[in-house]
Amino acid sequence: MIDLKTLTEVIIKGDQASAVNMTKEALAEGIGAESILNDGLIAGMDVVGDRFSKNEIYIPEMLIAARAMKSALEILEPELAKAGVKPIGKMAIGTVQGDLHDIGKNLVAMMLKGAGFEVVDLGVDVKPEKFVEKIKETGVQLVGLSALLTTTMPGMEKTIKVLKEAGLSVKIMVGGAPVTQEYADKIGANGYAADAASAVDVAKRLVA
Amino acid sequence: MLTIRENLQETMKGGNPDRFVKQFEFLEIIYESPLPPLAMKPGENVTDAWGIYWQWPKEQLGPFPVHDDEHIVLKDINNWKDYVHVPKVDYPKEAWEPALAHANKVNKEERFFSVFYVPGLFEMCHHLMGIENALMGFYDAPERMHELIAFLAKHELNVAEQIIEHLHPNALFHHDDWGSQYSTFLAPEMFRTFFLEPYKKIYSYWKQNGAELVVHHSDSFAATLVPDMIEMGIDIWQGVMSSNNTPELIKQYGSQITFMGDIDSGPVDTVDWTKEKLYEYFEKSCRRCGKLHFIPNLTQGGDYSSFPGVYEAANNAIDQMSKKMF
Repeated sequence: MIDLKTLTEVIIKGDQASAVNMTKEALAEGIGAESILNDGLIAGMDVVGDRFSKNEIYIPEMLIAARAMKSALEILEPELAKAGVKPIGKMAIGTVQGDLHDIGKNLVAMMLKGAGFEVVDLGVDVKPEKFVEKIKETGVQLVGLSALLTTTMPGMEKTIKVLKEAGLSVKIMVGGAPVTQEYADKIGANGYAADAASAVDVAKRLVA
Repeated sequence: MLTIRENLQETMKGGNPDRFVKQFEFLEIIYESPLPPLAMKPGENVTDAWGIYWQWPKEQLGPFPVHDDEHIVLKDINNWKDYVHVPKVDYPKEAWEPALAHANKVNKEERFFSVFYVPGLFEMCHHLMGIENALMGFYDAPERMHELIAFLAKHELNVAEQIIEHLHPNALFHHDDWGSQYSTFLAPEMFRTFFLEPYKKIYSYWKQNGAELVVHHSDSFAATLVPDMIEMGIDIWQGVMSSNNTPELIKQYGSQITFMGDIDSGPVDTVDWTKEKLYEYFEKSCRRCGKLHFIPNLTQGGDYSSFPGVYEAANNAIDQMSKKMF
């Protein structure tokens, strides 16, 4: 019988092949998809996020864990859909206009998927109007804005303004190297995360 | 009054400097060198000699490599040799003349001079293959990553040979960002495994061939890599962000390596910069870091700022602190 704690460990170690095989075996043994997701996969990513926050692991370890999680989730998704299990939230994320940096945004997207969110990744250099278009198209309840440069940070304020003018009732969280809580408050963001791991807590709070 | 070179040496060795070293005053950077090759302007998109496609959005601070499926160079680390081809290094004598003319104007008794060597080994890995692929590559294909890094290091040595032959620099200013503001990209053990030996070879080559000083830029957190920096032969770590707890590093390692930075460019080098804020940051930094083994400097990697006037105002702030503290 598959022990979901072992699946958790496999996720933490970033063992993609074992994560996929164990997920398949767990399903074959009749373990519920939601239980595999929460007690096996998300439990593993919670540990990864915590260790990353404490500088116990680094980006490579986080990336391989997220990759293992993603591959296992692909096996689970049809079963989750059949069981009517919904994501805990739906978020659109992008790096703001003029900024081409994506590693931070990608890490946040991975961690949020790992935590059970559905994430619509808009990529980099995203104009405010594109955020509006995609929010209307996808019905997300949360938007994440990333910027790595002081010169592109104003794009966050501009995007928030455009979203409000469009009358969209979404929560907005921001992050990136030059961004601070103070700046997030100043531009009217609902939340700020200093790193990918804490972004999960902020996102969960905003969709609750 | 000590000369610029003397004052730097006293600062570095923990002797008796008579003022703060003013940012890059000791180092003339020769930007006209044909190697390494990348010249871009804001608004341009350029494919460089490695095949890496760069975009530089207008009104932004610098270019960025693009790694979508269409543009990524190194698509499969297991077959890296199929994708990575070195650019030429043998430029004719005429190509070196502007750089040589500039270098010949430097008073070498007083100051050092160097090319701006960028990108370094770690950055080359992720410029070629995308940062996520590179970071996972250290786990997925460590032997191939070692091979790639060795190949890139050999290229650096070939480039170094050309620069040394034509320009005879007495210093090296070398750029390779090893972390973000609060963390290194790699765990220290992983960094050591992949990059210590190649960098030891590169920096010792430069020192064996005329470079008296190796200045390494990484505007990041990298406190945990300082022992490796010392071992690989870095004399000055430029770009030390304040997140490193610079005073503690100076205390622990100052006798072996000098720390240049501590004034993070992000908060002070902005479109709406003020002299008051800049001076405040420099005062706090100089007072917490002290006079020895420390060069107050904006953390940006060069003798300039992103916004006009900031670098010069920073120099004035340092003059003021020298008057106050010496």
